[in-house]
Amino acid sequence: MVVSVKVFKKATPNGKVTFYLGRRDFIDHLDYCDPVDGVVVVDEEYLKRRKVFGQLVTTYRYGREEDEVMGVKFSKELILCREVIVPMSNPNMEMTPVQEKLVRKLGANAYPFTFHFPPNSPSSVTLQQEGDDNGKPLGVEYTIRAYVADTEDERQHKRSMVSLVIKKLQYAPPTRGQRLPSSLVSKGFTFSNGKISLEVTLDREIYYHGEKVAATVQINNSSKKSVKNIKCFVIQHTEITMVNAQFSKHVAQLETKEGCPITPGANLTKTFYLIPLASNNKDRHGIALDGHLKDEDVNLASSTMVQDGKSTGDACGIIISYSLRVKLNCGTLGGEIQTDVPFKLAQPAPGTIEKKRSNAMKKMKSIEQHRNTKGYYQDDDDNIVFEDFAKMRMNNADMNDQ
Amino acid sequence: MDSLERSEIIGPVPFANYQNGSSLSSQNSPPNLGWHFPMEYQHLIHEHWRSFPAPQIYYQAFLFMAFVAMLLCSLFGNGLVLWIFSTSKNLRTPSNLLIINLAIFDLTMALNMPHYMINAVLGYFWGGDLGCDIYAVIGGISGQGAAVTNAFIAYDRYRTISNPIDGRLNFPQIIIIIIMTWLWTTPFSVLPLFHIWGHYIPEGFLTSCSFDYLSQDDETRYFVQSMFVWAYCIPMIIICVYYTKLFLHVRDHEKMLADQAKKMNIKSLSANQNAMSVEIRIAKAAMTIYMMYVFSWTPYATVSLLGTFNYRYMITPFASMIPCCCAKLVSCLDPWVYAASHPKYRAELERRLPWLGVRERNAVPSVNSGSNVGDGCDSETGTISMTNC
Repeated sequence: MVVSVKVFKKATPNGKVTFYLGRRDFIDHLDYCDPVDGVVVVDEEYLKRRKVFGQLVTTYRYGREEDEVMGVKFSKELILCREVIVPMSNPNMEMTPVQEKLVRKLGANAYPFTFHFPPNSPSSVTLQQEGDDNGKPLGVEYTIRAYVADTEDERQHKRSMVSLVIKKLQYAPPTRGQRLPSSLVSKGFTFSNGKISLEVTLDREIYYHGEKVAATVQINNSSKKSVKNIKCFVIQHTEITMVNAQFSKHVAQLETKEGCPITPGANLTKTFYLIPLASNNKDRHGIALDGHLKDEDVNLASSTMVQDGKSTGDACGIIISYSLRVKLNCGTLGGEIQTDVPFKLAQPAPGTIEKKRSNAMKKMKSIEQHRNTKGYYQDDDDNIVFEDFAKMRMNNADMNDQ
Repeated sequence: MDSLERSEIIGPVPFANYQNGSSLSSQNSPPNLGWHFPMEYQHLIHEHWRSFPAPQIYYQAFLFMAFVAMLLCSLFGNGLVLWIFSTSKNLRTPSNLLIINLAIFDLTMALNMPHYMINAVLGYFWGGDLGCDIYAVIGGISGQGAAVTNAFIAYDRYRTISNPIDGRLNFPQIIIIIIMTWLWTTPFSVLPLFHIWGHYIPEGFLTSCSFDYLSQDDETRYFVQSMFVWAYCIPMIIICVYYTKLFLHVRDHEKMLADQAKKMNIKSLSANQNAMSVEIRIAKAAMTIYMMYVFSWTPYATVSLLGTFNYRYMITPFASMIPCCCAKLVSCLDPWVYAASHPKYRAELERRLPWLGVRERNAVPSVNSGSNVGDGCDSETGTISMTNC
């Protein structure tokens, strides 16, 4: 049986060292994290007696490159793992199924490697930049890298170095909690009796990307003011621990006068639907997205999940949270009443029905995108272009023959 | 004729004459400063200068050559800044408008240099009252403007570096700041122009013009002292405060990042391994800019304050030429100092004018720069089909 497995491949500019990876998304399950498992193929003749070093690196970029002056760099690189890939440090190392397949396929010059993400390592997040900004994206990015050298600290040469961007993501827990988040607030007025109370309840605690957030708003007006209009927002809170900065952005909003004015003594119960989507926030500066690779279909950053018993304060990198905010406008004198209900936005865990559905959607989109961007990819100085698929299969056929 | 009579009334005995024992009445002494000013311009010369001998010809010749060199250097350096910053798209950021503004002020200062050369050749101030006023107004505006632009650059850099995500000033804010720099220069350049407060007189070898710091009346003294605070102290304080804050911020930030790395069990941040530490780099860059400021404006401040505090005898023509030359020299150096700390500008220079020999060190990717991490990393996906055994 022939099954086509998608493999990511990238070679050094001189083509002597090549990375093969079964996937580029690695999932943090909170209690453990998928290791980065791949294979490096080297040209032994080129290598002679030198070694191939591998690194797992995370890059924090917290400022635009164009703003860098006085020798300050708005990016920090942390080497999370370093390892000698060739020669293998541990010849009896246990290989993952993908590695086994790759090693079997790629022959004697293939060396497996495994990197483990250290605990507390942040998820990949990209902060969206304004339209024409073509600098490096802000956020947290992971890269695996291999280079040829005699010693680890030796200066690396571009020609014999390869780096590949990977992503570290979090999925929603398999069960979405039963708790319905809600919030109740009431406001009295200085010069009149009575209160307006506002209760907001969401229909879920955890939403998947693309799902409707249903907010049931209950307004009870026992004051002498009336409510002029109602505004709902989905707010994305981004905390950037690298610079100790935080900001909030609206990612979905609606404003309505339905049922308004809510006159003294009246009540209103109504459900509003909002869908927080990345596609509705294109080109807006500072919107956090799940770590994204060029032009790929992308969604808003998932809420940062932490293990039970730990607080988000301990997390590193970029911490994302969401809330739904309802604002009642009680006229110029009455002021505003508002309340926030926190919720989580996440990727469905694999295996669930929702995941399959969203995967099918993604596949269709990405096929289309590849078609559109073929020309663009060819401009890159990389040795693989999408047109090469056929050629690569032929190469593999050759290998099979051998 | 009035002025000629005045020349006979000798002021306080000047330091120079006092030292070499020469007196004005002696027949053999060289002619006094200002002797060959045309009659109609004689009234421009402050009595203080008349007690000094005219400078030797080689002083004038040397200054002439220095001004030729400075003019070329300023035109080239500042012209390059204007050209590259205004035509290259990835340098079009709000902060860079301030660098452009500085280059404009420095070029304005260069406008005076040809005028100076004419004066140096003639030996007197060409253009009389009007010429002197124009020369001094241009010098005043450009000098004060450059100083205050330096201060705002410090402020902007602090904003950007202390809050790189959304702290940088946007275009409207920067444009307001630029308008402010020009307004900042007006009080102490326009008021003396219209003789409302202070006035302009020739200084040094009488081939350059500036505000009057020699007259002993209260009006002039207050003018000079206020200007000292306004045009020297305030920008200096801003520069010191913001570069200090910036340095402290960077130091704390480095520490914070190191702490975060520790949480992930990483001992060192790779970016610190080989390269000079960021703190030292910042300190060096800030000190350079600060020293440039001190070098350019302290001579003027010193000389003019000496004038107001009754140490006038110490202001010899030569001593009063120093500040004017320092200020002009710095206007030529500004573009190089700011360019040196601007990696994108260097990269652009290297690309457009390779013969200049500018090498952007960071352009060479190393493991530490991380510069090759992002580029083209998404084009490497490919599929190979495998037989599932």
